[in-house]
Amino acid sequence: MTTLKSFTATGDTTVQALAGLAGAIGETSLDASLVCVFYDAAHDDGAIFDFLRARFDRAAILGGTSCNGVMNQSGLGGPRSIGLLVLEDPEGNYGAASTRLQGDAADCAERTLHAALEQADCAGELPELIWIYQAPGQEESVIEGLRRVVGDRCPIIGGSSADNDVSGQWRQMGPDGAFGDGLVVAVLFSSGGIGYAFQGGYEPSGESGIVTRIGYDPVGESGVVTQSAGRQIISIDGEPAAEVYNRWIGGVLGDKLQNGGNILIDTTLHPVGVDVGKIEGITNYLLIHPDKILTGGVLSTFASIEEGTRLYSMKGERTRLITRAGKVASAAAAMLPGGEESLAGGLVVYCGGCMLAVGDEMPRVASAVTGSFRGRPFLGCFTFGEQGAILGKNAHGNLMISAIAFGE
Amino acid sequence: MTLRRENDLLRIETTHANLLLKALDAVLCVDGDDDPFAGVFSALIPVFECSLAIVLIEQEGGGDALECVAASAAPAVGSLWARDKLLGKALSGRIVTTVAEAGAVAWPEIPGLGLAGREPALYLPLGVRGRRGLMLLLRECGRPGFDRAHVALAKKFSLLASHAFAAKRASQTEAESHRLKHLTDQLAASQRALQHRANHDQLTGLPNRAYIQELIGEAIARRGPDEKLALAFIDLDDFKRVNDIYGHAAGDALLKTVSERVCSSIRHTDIFGRISGDEFVIVLNPVTRRSDISALVNRMRARLREPFSFEGAEIRPSASIGVAIHPMHGNDYETLRRHADMAMYRAKTISKGGVAFFNRQLGKKAMEKHVLEHELRDALDSHAFHCALQKKVDIRTGAIVGFEALLRWVDRHGAVRLPGTFLPLANELGLLNDISNLVVSDLARALPRLDEVFGTSVHYSVNVSPIQAVNMQFMQGLVRRLRDTGRAGSFMLELTEESLAATGPFQSQVLPLLRDAGLRLSIDDFGTGYSSLSTIADLTVDELKIDRSLISAIHTRPRNQSILRAIESLGMALGISVVAEGIETNEEKLYLMAQSELRIGQGYLFHKPQLLGDLLKEASPVTPDSSIIDGGSMPHEAGRLAIAAAAGGLGSIVLRRDCGCNPPKV
Repeated sequence: MTTLKSFTATGDTTVQALAGLAGAIGETSLDASLVCVFYDAAHDDGAIFDFLRARFDRAAILGGTSCNGVMNQSGLGGPRSIGLLVLEDPEGNYGAASTRLQGDAADCAERTLHAALEQADCAGELPELIWIYQAPGQEESVIEGLRRVVGDRCPIIGGSSADNDVSGQWRQMGPDGAFGDGLVVAVLFSSGGIGYAFQGGYEPSGESGIVTRIGYDPVGESGVVTQSAGRQIISIDGEPAAEVYNRWIGGVLGDKLQNGGNILIDTTLHPVGVDVGKIEGITNYLLIHPDKILTGGVLSTFASIEEGTRLYSMKGERTRLITRAGKVASAAAAMLPGGEESLAGGLVVYCGGCMLAVGDEMPRVASAVTGSFRGRPFLGCFTFGEQGAILGKNAHGNLMISAIAFGE
Repeated sequence: MTLRRENDLLRIETTHANLLLKALDAVLCVDGDDDPFAGVFSALIPVFECSLAIVLIEQEGGGDALECVAASAAPAVGSLWARDKLLGKALSGRIVTTVAEAGAVAWPEIPGLGLAGREPALYLPLGVRGRRGLMLLLRECGRPGFDRAHVALAKKFSLLASHAFAAKRASQTEAESHRLKHLTDQLAASQRALQHRANHDQLTGLPNRAYIQELIGEAIARRGPDEKLALAFIDLDDFKRVNDIYGHAAGDALLKTVSERVCSSIRHTDIFGRISGDEFVIVLNPVTRRSDISALVNRMRARLREPFSFEGAEIRPSASIGVAIHPMHGNDYETLRRHADMAMYRAKTISKGGVAFFNRQLGKKAMEKHVLEHELRDALDSHAFHCALQKKVDIRTGAIVGFEALLRWVDRHGAVRLPGTFLPLANELGLLNDISNLVVSDLARALPRLDEVFGTSVHYSVNVSPIQAVNMQFMQGLVRRLRDTGRAGSFMLELTEESLAATGPFQSQVLPLLRDAGLRLSIDDFGTGYSSLSTIADLTVDELKIDRSLISAIHTRPRNQSILRAIESLGMALGISVVAEGIETNEEKLYLMAQSELRIGQGYLFHKPQLLGDLLKEASPVTPDSSIIDGGSMPHEAGRLAIAAAAGGLGSIVLRRDCGCNPPKV
């Protein structure tokens, strides 16, 4: 039997927020198997970790910072909020492990997955689901490392930790505390079954072009990309990428095209997409969010792209970003082996870029998920990159929404 | 998309349910001491794609090792297996499967099997003979491991099979029998429910695409030798507009209403289903005469056209319908559907809300189009499109003043294909820009050689279709290519009156781009379009090309002579050079020389278009560049289109307006 409880609290200081959480939890006896924790980057990691270890000494811990706080079934937590999802499943197995992403990120991920399986007492077994939370920057390599072990035979769901202003203050929290450049991997073997979904709410706007040149910035000492793939699109169809992209989206980048800078909010409703395959003739796209214009009209993105890839200009609508979260949650619940009726609760990873675009209507997103999850406990975080399984293949994308539903 | 994914899941679950029933049947229907596993293995092995299945149970005497009591490979039976951690987990009721590179486990050496202990494995708990046990499914080393779908299926099988074995062991006591019956009944009911959900569209409750295909396949198979049936393909007209204007709730309500109306109009023997968004198919079965079909379809069409109200708004739906008849138009669902779809498209093209029957002519056209599409794509890949040039001359001195760049497709047999035969499809397939780019690249590459031969004062004209003219991305690429030659001032873009007179992006974005680049502009086919004098006065074009229809036999046509004089006056008044195109006879030339002030002309009288290679070879002793194709002279009928898109045939003015394309000139 799996049960979930979700708690959120807000406080100007971490001490205040944790006191609020302690009050919400009360004297409830919780024998947690897994605890997910997400919090505003303004909070103190050490205090949060100590709080968790004191209360959930045997639980696998996974989480980290989330853009402007969290959401759950009670609504949007807002800035300076902390959220916990406490999962109890005495018949299941759960394990978590963490590492700093130093050296080869794929190797780090592979080792950490094996460590998490050991922690779950399930070495050598295929988990039901792998949950990851990591620093933005090397998601494709991390997934590659995990896929070396499990291929696409089990879903890899997760998010890239986020701060509030893209200044690099994101952290990841695992069983050994918090890192700024880390990866946390949890493996889940539940007794009640798990459903999941990974979707974006965008459609092609018509334009497309071939990526003709790619560049990249190493991420610390561990930045390894091939020469033909990276996160800086230098040119599309032989022209400076930013100019082409600006044309596609109707010239909204204005002065930034010349002066460069952060374009995260300008481009949230106009990402680019990569064709990842078709279902009955309808193309599925993995979304990629351009975040900055660099010198020379180079377009920086939150996901890696290969040279020769055809990029599609995509378009989204604010209202669709609001309703889509609920649809993704419903799709995850519908996948439960025991049906939606067996839903115990869930987890939602909602893109931080979408959150910024939706702005003051974010409470409607929380309501949509609450409705789809039938009021059951859930915790939602806001991330700078989302990972999930699309057309049976584990992938990293942007502006996507991931949801996990747990069966009782 | 979500619906489709859900349908896929339902179909998988239905398949699983069928498999479980089959495997359980194998357990329950075996008498006495016969081995029940033979049937179980034959049901499970193909689905799990495993090479070996082994059943292990705890020994009767209580030893620690597990005994193999059944296996798909006989030598394994009787072997003893040391109880390791994964076997222990499976015995305690857990489904386990392994990851890649899982460490080797110590399995017994079984002659002929050679188990390495690294094989991808799936462990299913199984209670057998009152003892704890498990079934171990193995794949060969190196093959991918089992996935979560296999685990889900294994979970269901494990539970039900254990109950079945328990019931058998209890000699079918009444209680166990009842419990088992209840379980199998539940499974059968759930299988039926799943099947219904998997086979029906959730919005309308109608059979979905996969199920309709199945039903039609059955109907065809049951059909007697002289019996016919008809497949009608229904496509709602302007359904997207309903969604856009009134919202998706209205769209959904309309779809439901349509399905109800059609259901009430058809016979109980007919089959009706929804195959995608606004597309439905009906199988009229049986039918005897075409007039019967027409009567049924018209009745349905009339019902569909009745007004539909949604939240106070009145929507007048209509549908275009195409019909294909079995066996004349196809022997299977897919062929019939495709042919009915073609007929529907034909009906819609003629008039929305219409009905059309498939005929061989439609089929032939579709096949030709299909072949042409392949050829076009191949031609694009193999760079079979080339640039040809036709001279523009001073009609009074014969001096070359410029060239018009034209598109030529030289097929793999060396034959030149007429643009009019492929440009409409290339346009439809979105290949036109790529083709145009090839032609312009050809020209740009040959420019240094052309300069050597003809001098640098001649200019080169390239045609731009109305669709291309407002495609900012295309125009920017074109301008860049021409600019990169370092000679943008030597190029003239020929645009139709339609492009130049259009308001919107062309005026605000494209024209400034062209002017900034220093490209010159020409109004092509002047005199056939809709330019108003005020528009022309506003545009700083450099050239007017009088359409060939006005030049043809001008010496005998007083009305055209008047128009020529008017255009000439207009050009002089605005300081625009005027060119006569399509000069084909000496009489036309003599008339123009004697009765007008025109200096520049173009036409077969002076020069037939030539591929670049031929032109250069003829004009210069220098061996042409290997990248420039040699070819024969252009047939007289060869089209005169450069990078312009073409609509089908010699379209009327209305057609040009509607499709925004430039008709081919022949």
